[in-house]
Amino acid sequence: MAVQEVKVLSAKYGIKDSRTLAVARAHGGYSQIEKAFSMEPAQIVEMVKASGLRGRGGAGFPTGMKWSFLPKGLDKPTYLCINSDESEPATFKDRQIIENDPHMLIEGIIITCWAINSHDAYIYIRGEFVRQAEMLNTAIDEAYAAGLLGEKACGKDFRVDITVHRGAGAYVCGEETALIESIEGKKGQPRSKPPFPAVVGLFQCPTIINNVQTIASVPYIIEHGAEGYRKFGTEKSAGTFLFGISGHVNKPGVYETELGVSMKGFIEDLAGGVWKNRKLKAVIPGGSSTPIMTPKEVETCMLDYESIVEHGSMLGSGGIVVLDETVCMVKSLKNLLYFYHHESCGQCTPCREGTGWIYKIVSNIEAGKGKMSDLDLLLELADNMEGKTVCVLSGAAAMPTRSYIQKFRHEFEEHIKLGKCPFAG
Amino acid sequence: MSKLITMNVDGQELQVEEGKNLIDALSAVGIHIPHFCYHPALGFDGNCRMCLVEVEGARGPQIACNTPVKEGMKVSLSSESSMNLRRKVLEFELINHPLDCPICDQAGECKLQDYYMEAGLSKSRMEVEKVAKEKNLDFGCGVVHDQERCVLCARCVRFLRKYTKTAELGIVNRCDKAKVTTFPEKPINNRYALNVVDICPVGAMTSRDFRFKQRVWFMSSEKSVCHGCAKGCSIYVDHNQEKYKAERVYRFRPRENAQVNGHFMCDAGRLSYRKENENRLTTAKASERFEAVDIATSQAVALLSAAKGKAVFIVSPSWTTEQMAVAKSLATHYDGYLSGYADGYIVKGDGDDLLLKEDKAANRASLELLGISTDRQKLISNLKTAEVVVVLNNDLSLTASDKREFEALFAGKQVIFVGSHRIALADSAQTVIPCASYTEYAGVVVNVDSILQEVTCAIEKECFARRPEQVMAALSGNAIKAELGAVRQQLSASVPALAQVDWNAIPENGLNLKGGAQ
Ligand SMILES: Cc1cc2nc3c(=O)[nH]c(=O)nc-3n(C[C@H](O)[C@H](O)[C@H](O)COP(=O)(O)O)c2cc1C
Ligand code: SF4
Ligand code: SF4
Ligand code: SF4
Ligand code: FES
Repeated sequence: MAVQEVKVLSAKYGIKDSRTLAVARAHGGYSQIEKAFSMEPAQIVEMVKASGLRGRGGAGFPTGMKWSFLPKGLDKPTYLCINSDESEPATFKDRQIIENDPHMLIEGIIITCWAINSHDAYIYIRGEFVRQAEMLNTAIDEAYAAGLLGEKACGKDFRVDITVHRGAGAYVCGEETALIESIEGKKGQPRSKPPFPAVVGLFQCPTIINNVQTIASVPYIIEHGAEGYRKFGTEKSAGTFLFGISGHVNKPGVYETELGVSMKGFIEDLAGGVWKNRKLKAVIPGGSSTPIMTPKEVETCMLDYESIVEHGSMLGSGGIVVLDETVCMVKSLKNLLYFYHHESCGQCTPCREGTGWIYKIVSNIEAGKGKMSDLDLLLELADNMEGKTVCVLSGAAAMPTRSYIQKFRHEFEEHIKLGKCPFAG
Repeated sequence: MSKLITMNVDGQELQVEEGKNLIDALSAVGIHIPHFCYHPALGFDGNCRMCLVEVEGARGPQIACNTPVKEGMKVSLSSESSMNLRRKVLEFELINHPLDCPICDQAGECKLQDYYMEAGLSKSRMEVEKVAKEKNLDFGCGVVHDQERCVLCARCVRFLRKYTKTAELGIVNRCDKAKVTTFPEKPINNRYALNVVDICPVGAMTSRDFRFKQRVWFMSSEKSVCHGCAKGCSIYVDHNQEKYKAERVYRFRPRENAQVNGHFMCDAGRLSYRKENENRLTTAKASERFEAVDIATSQAVALLSAAKGKAVFIVSPSWTTEQMAVAKSLATHYDGYLSGYADGYIVKGDGDDLLLKEDKAANRASLELLGISTDRQKLISNLKTAEVVVVLNNDLSLTASDKREFEALFAGKQVIFVGSHRIALADSAQTVIPCASYTEYAGVVVNVDSILQEVTCAIEKECFARRPEQVMAALSGNAIKAELGAVRQQLSASVPALAQVDWNAIPENGLNLKGGAQ
């Protein structure tokens, strides 16, 4: 059976002026507020737990469980931060939500604020998203004007304020504690944990950080209940996902499917298959940091958290990159490492020094100046960089390095033997 | 001390204090876990990753600086895999390091060097181009920064944010281009700046004052007390005698003391070591002529003996408690009046709520303990009838008004000055006898918070600089006791607050005379 799109988050995509409050409302926007406010906050947390919703920002952490980590009875405000930093190469799903249906996100925020007893939500949006920030602010202004936000949000005795905070162009600010530092006006670099943000977060107060897509999924769960959401996806990977697919396919773009569909089917049925009738060489399944997969692995892999892990990689942020047979894997890795080196915040020694070192080694190989011993050195350095730092950016540079060399070692060796790139014309 | 718990380090059962992190808890029992960014006064930051250790049952290596000790915890520090964790971090740390050790002031007390030697790294695997950064940057307040040597632990940055709250430094840029810097046109500007040189674990922060003066391994250190103000910060006196040169002090460094100064000291106090080397009084005078010390001393004895009952003694508020006691005996011997008047030592508005005190006298508290009057009027009325004035290193010229008034009062009198430095009196007094300064003798001082600390003798000066108590004994014609042990015995017997002091076992961190040993 061909892989098909489903319309949960993308229901309003394609409708004219779907960004506006009027159109959003006409298509069910804000219809779940009434129901949500009639529920006890704890009931909502339980419902989201039962729905099996997992974080769509990359780590796939169960959302309801994250909310329940908030300490009870603290004499401090709780903050909600929406992670719209979306800076990982190959990831472009959250911006679709903002461009097409910002009110679904705002509705999700209002419901989440009620559920976790927060009155202040910050949307941290990637600095380069200038237009999207404007769209978001326009939608928020509309929501304020309509009384959906503010002192009495949606006419209830409950204040909800949303502040859009624009980043300044740092990938690392997508890491939740770097995001917090950045909102606080400091240099965006991750905090060492513990304490975790649920206990000590923004302005030293309990804070929940969720991805745009995660929070945008909340209204649907309220409407259809945990079971309604679980109709999609697998036992452990419930619901739908906005996958972004790019690279060498005929129809790149964002497609919403339920979790658990075939990766190969997704590439072929929705993205139109590898372009120019070329052969598939490799797939990056979930954003640039996830280990690369071979065509053989792609063959049997399903698009859900568990299956991709079984196939040696990760679902990550759902940004799929398809690479055809003409791609030079050394150059491709060099390209990724340029990014991770540039984006390392520079505080942890293994990441600060390691990303630069491995980038330079891979550059040398690409330029035909490598040595065979470089390959084992790279593998060892990848090990030395991973799992030893404040945040996982270091690991995000190590994982592609390891997988590229392990799975495409012959290409690296060829560069070294030839003293040049075999793909360069 | 809080509860003790039992844990296991490298197979050895240990009792450590609950509620501390691994670095602090183990350091208290003599086990050092390598680290750069953690500093007990600045808290953990978690950036250097040098302190990674293996904790049984944990998911992967843990940073010791943010891992609280727990009952039953098992930690491995010396296993091959634990050593490897450190080797890897060091390898990363060193790939872009300039390896300046031969010309780096920090060599010999550099953590990077020490850990490298411990880890036994040898061959470099770094064959790509190094990142070049800037060197010899003047950060202000005598702090010189070398960006290439910096391990970016952010201790300096955090010190200026948390301690002085002046925040002059920041780390700019990302990845291996990150560097510590000041804001444009805004150098470091506070009275504690040079502490960043101490807290920098490597040679990235050096002191303009100390740069290239000494290799640290040639110097010896003595534990002592800063005499810059009434706080009496615990210090190390680092000194050395180079061939054909007199022994001299090269620097003061703060010595950790939770009771007094924590980990730090002020810049003025730190640089006051220079006074030990500069402007010293080295020549004696008698009848306004340069004379040998013994001749000047006999002359003084003659003057004093002739003026029994009509002599005034003015003792320094920074001399040791023992020396003050000897001064008392000396005054009594000649039936004279002893004053510890030292209002001029107080510099209004010069204190702060970190360490610095307005009172620049190191031992004013002992004047009170010994019942030595500091009253200005009493001193003046006694001076009016005196024939001989003996100034025992008390600088009466610190304020202009005192200087004028006392010059007038001294006119027509025989003035004997016993002192360590060439202050105004060294020129105007008819009789002058040089004496040692506080890095050259031993004794105790009591600070503004009633904490008694030991001053130790770092430097043995030649004969021109006899210790003050020796000079005073000589001035009495050797009639009074000046030997340290004897004076102390007498102090214990006569001063209730000192009755309990065990003179042979004064704790390194001092003795709180109000609350006992800590
Ligand atoms: C270097 C780095 C960059 C990240 N960037 C993003 C991002 O752009 N957007 C995002 O939602 N999560 C990002 N994350 C993951 C967040 O730290 C966090 O796990 C997530 O926002 C939590 O939301 P969720 O539970 O809804 O997924 C990043 C993590 C790291 C380590
Ligand atoms: S791992 Fe890299 S990006 Fe993350 S905190 Fe450390 S240095 Fe910064
Ligand atoms: S200058 Fe020294 S203290 Fe400051 S960050 Fe660098 S290594 Fe650390
Ligand atoms: S605060 Fe006072 S005692 Fe401490 S170093 Fe400064 S001058 Fe010396
Ligand atoms: S001392 Fe623990 S990470 Fe630096």
